[in-house]
Amino acid sequence: MRGRRLRLQMAYLIAALAAALALTIVAAGCGSGDSGGSGSSASPGAASGEPIKVGAILSLTGTYAGLGEGEKNVIDMEVKRINDAGGINGRPLEVIVEDDATDEAKAAAAAAKLIEQDEVVAILGATGSGQTMAMRGDVDRAGVPQVSMAGATAITNPVDPLVFATPWSNTIVVPFTLQYLKDQGITKIGLISDSGGFGKDGQAIISAEAPNYGIEIVDDETFNPGDTDMSAQLTKIKSSGAEAILMWTAGAEAATIVKNAADLGTDLPIYGSHGIARREFIEGAGAAAEGITLPAGKILMPEAYGEGTEAFTVATDFIDRYTAAYGEAPSTFAGYAYDALNLVVEAAKKVQGDLTPESLRDAIEQTTGWVGTGGTFNFTAEDHNGLTVDDLTMYQIKDGDWSQAQ
Amino acid sequence: MSELLQFLIAGLKNGCIYALVALGFTVVFAATRAINFAQGEFFMLGGMLGVAFWQLGLPLPLAAVAAVAATAAIGALFELLAVRPIKDGDPLRIIIVTIGGAVLLRQLTLHFLGPDERPLDAFSAGASFKVWGAAIERQTVWIWAVTVVSVAVLAILYRRTAFGKAMRATAIRRDAARLVGVNVSLMVTASFAIAAGLGAVAGITVTPLTQTVFSVGAGMGVKGFAAAVLGGLGDPVGAVCGGLLLGLLEALVAGYIDPVYKDAVAMVVLLLVLFVRPQGILGGSGREKL
Repeated sequence: MRGRRLRLQMAYLIAALAAALALTIVAAGCGSGDSGGSGSSASPGAASGEPIKVGAILSLTGTYAGLGEGEKNVIDMEVKRINDAGGINGRPLEVIVEDDATDEAKAAAAAAKLIEQDEVVAILGATGSGQTMAMRGDVDRAGVPQVSMAGATAITNPVDPLVFATPWSNTIVVPFTLQYLKDQGITKIGLISDSGGFGKDGQAIISAEAPNYGIEIVDDETFNPGDTDMSAQLTKIKSSGAEAILMWTAGAEAATIVKNAADLGTDLPIYGSHGIARREFIEGAGAAAEGITLPAGKILMPEAYGEGTEAFTVATDFIDRYTAAYGEAPSTFAGYAYDALNLVVEAAKKVQGDLTPESLRDAIEQTTGWVGTGGTFNFTAEDHNGLTVDDLTMYQIKDGDWSQAQ
Repeated sequence: MSELLQFLIAGLKNGCIYALVALGFTVVFAATRAINFAQGEFFMLGGMLGVAFWQLGLPLPLAAVAAVAATAAIGALFELLAVRPIKDGDPLRIIIVTIGGAVLLRQLTLHFLGPDERPLDAFSAGASFKVWGAAIERQTVWIWAVTVVSVAVLAILYRRTAFGKAMRATAIRRDAARLVGVNVSLMVTASFAIAAGLGAVAGITVTPLTQTVFSVGAGMGVKGFAAAVLGGLGDPVGAVCGGLLLGLLEALVAGYIDPVYKDAVAMVVLLLVLFVRPQGILGGSGREKL
């Protein structure tokens, strides 16, 4: 009896081990498929020689997985294009992608690995603000330039000589949005922001800037990332005398907020941040997304740049290639990755002599008038974001799609 | 006044969801004396599978039923493969196995269904109902109705059927139940299937309001567990009361104190109950469960 049970347990153990093994093989298969876009795939006759190694730390799992996925798609696509076109001054580009699982400790560990083991000349990332800040110690120690795809002001202000960022920071977007509210004749707003990095940062800047635009925050509400019910906050905004709701978050909770607001019967217009400029928001909020106004770069509707301009060409070319490769239009977050990678590549092409982290950093900082998907980048020693309000447009969601706000 | 009413509506809405998840904890605890830490993942699976079936083209009601059935089957399968082999049903080992199972279910969902947030249409379209200045979403009415029906079905199952009596006998005394001919292992498998089904019901009914993603299980697991402990582990009436109470407490804290502390409520409640009244709010001596 005992022997049989033992055998049975052994059988289960073997089955479990086999299952674990099978899973690992499947995962490894995907893993090696993932890196297929790297330098090794350069076609013959294109780039050759010692590859230039760049690290990328993305959130491929965890809360920001929806953003990191698009960023990785872009990197795979661009590395292939760049290498097919001869690489960087004849040398192939290799991007080593690490997943930080939207976890700050893992982001720091990935940065250390990329610097120590892979000896990369630059780091792209991270996807999130917290993860970007978490690797600063390693970046500073090693003197490797970093181009972040995250939007918190703290990333580039105060300026760290090594750290650049491609999204429009809240310090640019908030005044732009408040000016628009003022133009609409709105003087009292109910603010709702997330208690994470992006929302907190936005909330602080909005509170500081609002008086300059004659706007009073009559109710200041917050919520935690992952919250699934905002009716308490919205009920309070509804009875606060606000003329509009300003919602500052990049999370999926934005869809819940606008749905709750519609269900509560608040007739107040809702203004969002550039953090919701992705299709998942419209899909998640459904009919409740109609009429929401938000600031974002011109990438959502490249015609905002004006047809025939260089920015229009760059943006439409990017959108067309991404759509052809992945079957859907890129999010603004995918655009951040395009800009980050290409800023590094363009700078690397300009370096005379040895390509070292120091010379690459200097070349990135000297970038002027480079047109990416987010706008025209002009870096200086004091400005490591490089974008201005001219790169922003107000959008309104109409019939489940972006349209330019009046 | 309408503000308070609105908070109470929100509280009862979330409370119902917590109650269903807490019932899942309770059903498994009654049968095994173990806490099933994969319960939150069953909640997640209900929503994710429902959306997946719906996107494949199934009509929404069918997709919802299929998601609940599939999750219940996954619950039963999980028990057969991972819990049943555990010698003598040692609760501590079952707990450890369910923690591993939770991670496995979450990662498999991520692998097969992807990392994105997924939306779902409301069960019935239309504007909210207005009651004394407060608004009740149609989906909230669905949540209440589905919860009432689920609890009623569970009560009838446990009180009126031979199967339910066998479940209760297993819960009260395993050895004695086995002696009188109850198939105890089958009852444990059934408890996992029922718990998974309850979690899935909660997951699919709340998704139209919140969207869902592979990672929502852990947070809901904590809330459901706190609700189950609040009501007294193993007591189904207590689980429902605990869930509703937790939902109301959260809504009032969010409304009158600060929404940022909302999530802390469950933790504070959990600790307070464990320190002050481990048998739960309704619990008497801690015996006579179910």
